[in-house]
Amino acid sequence: MVGIAVQGLTKVYQSRSHPGGVLAIDGVDLAVADHEFVCLLGPSGCGKSTILNVLSGLDRKYGGAVSVAGRMTSRANDHPYRVGYIFQEPRLLPWLSVRRNIEFALESDGIRRSEWRSRTDNWLKRVGLADFAEGHPHELSGGMQQRTSIARAFAVDPEILLMDEPFSGLDELTARAMRELLLEIWLETRKTVIFVTHNCFEACFLADRIVVLTPRPGKICKEVTVELQRPRNYDDSRLFEMSVSVTHYVTSKEGS
Amino acid sequence: MSAVTDTKIPVAAPPSRPRIPESVSIRVASMVALLMLWQLASFAFSERYVPAPLPTFSALWQLAQSGELVKHFEVTMFRMLVSFAIAMLVGMAIGTVMGLHRRAEQALDLVVMVGLTIPGLCYIIVSFMWLGLNERAAILAIAWTTFPAIAINIWQGVKAIDQRLIDMARTFGASGWRRTTRVVIPQVLPYLMAAARFGLGIIWKVTVLVELLGRSDGIGYMLNYSFQMFNMVNVFAWTIFFTLVMLAIELGILKTIERRLFLWRPEIRA
Repeated sequence: MVGIAVQGLTKVYQSRSHPGGVLAIDGVDLAVADHEFVCLLGPSGCGKSTILNVLSGLDRKYGGAVSVAGRMTSRANDHPYRVGYIFQEPRLLPWLSVRRNIEFALESDGIRRSEWRSRTDNWLKRVGLADFAEGHPHELSGGMQQRTSIARAFAVDPEILLMDEPFSGLDELTARAMRELLLEIWLETRKTVIFVTHNCFEACFLADRIVVLTPRPGKICKEVTVELQRPRNYDDSRLFEMSVSVTHYVTSKEGS
Repeated sequence: MSAVTDTKIPVAAPPSRPRIPESVSIRVASMVALLMLWQLASFAFSERYVPAPLPTFSALWQLAQSGELVKHFEVTMFRMLVSFAIAMLVGMAIGTVMGLHRRAEQALDLVVMVGLTIPGLCYIIVSFMWLGLNERAAILAIAWTTFPAIAINIWQGVKAIDQRLIDMARTFGASGWRRTTRVVIPQVLPYLMAAARFGLGIIWKVTVLVELLGRSDGIGYMLNYSFQMFNMVNVFAWTIFFTLVMLAIELGILKTIERRLFLWRPEIRA
């Protein structure tokens, strides 16, 4: 069964300097199975984030067809399926406590109030922030803020998880710990994930399958299945070799 | 504010604090010093020119006993509150439109700047010449002088709204109403408070001027009346009274609202 189906996705941005518009994505077909972890990999400007914006419903002016769990995104329905989105920045509401930030997402997604307490406590505990539930975002470090945003995304029990370079704003040591945490949680929940990154090593460490995109206009140039067993280890030499070959696909001008 | 870390570091117990915080005691001391300077000045010059604190407060007491104080206070407060409400509504409407639409911003930014630059006295004179020496003209003049400063603050606040937080709310399915009330308005609130404060700061000054020029009651009128009588003690008494009322509004109402609204902020918590 197909969890996410994207067919012939095309996106044109209106621009003053280019009256005809700028073609950002040109006919992308993408099928993601349930419980699959897919990384979209490519340099900046290849439309990776645009694909996430279309899937999340933030962007509704596009060509092609997009469906998740059999439900189509459309102009008519604002929120046809439940999305957990982890952004590059934590995007927490600074005036709310950590707990209230997660409850804001639960409330927005129409989850019953009686479940808020247990869901929030469980997920904060899972990301190691049980003691910080009543604190405010500015009292947390950058990594802890991003852990809050991970807890928020999982707490709504989403049908798909979208992640837009969530660890690129963190220092490498923190980012490593966060990737390991993410994989642990993912192995427990097996949510369908689309993870956008420009970091080849990160893609190899996380993904079941890597989709490499070329820039301007964004097109799929290569798909790589990552055969490495889970749980994966940063010190695995096969991981390193694989990231070298994937880097080659990304940097080669030809693309295919 | 430093980030919280997981490790627990032993911390020495804080020293026992004096009951009155230092920030309060310094302020009280500075007010006492001001009173003493005032007293010294009245010694140095004649009481005719600088009435001492005691006679001033006793004149204030007499004004209160005669009922004059309350009567003129009520009139002045009424004018200020009505004009403030009008100026806030107009300023919020214009500031919001300017913050949301680039064309409106380009059309109005110079207009608002010009409005802010023209002296309040000009608005007052023009209003009285248009509408006559009446209450409507007074309120128009005060509101007119005040709204540009409010509009500018709201404009900046609307421009500073973080679209990324609104997008976050949308991905979790928050309705337009929830995005507005729970994500947009809390972001604009600090600017709204700043606008209110700027507005009140202008309104104090304009209202007494309006009363001096074209009304026959209110604190501004009584100041002018005392001037005509060359009654320096009453000039001082009315000034002190007015200042105390404004301080009470500033410290008692505005500060309290701000503290409650922005409790989460690090600089206010510390």
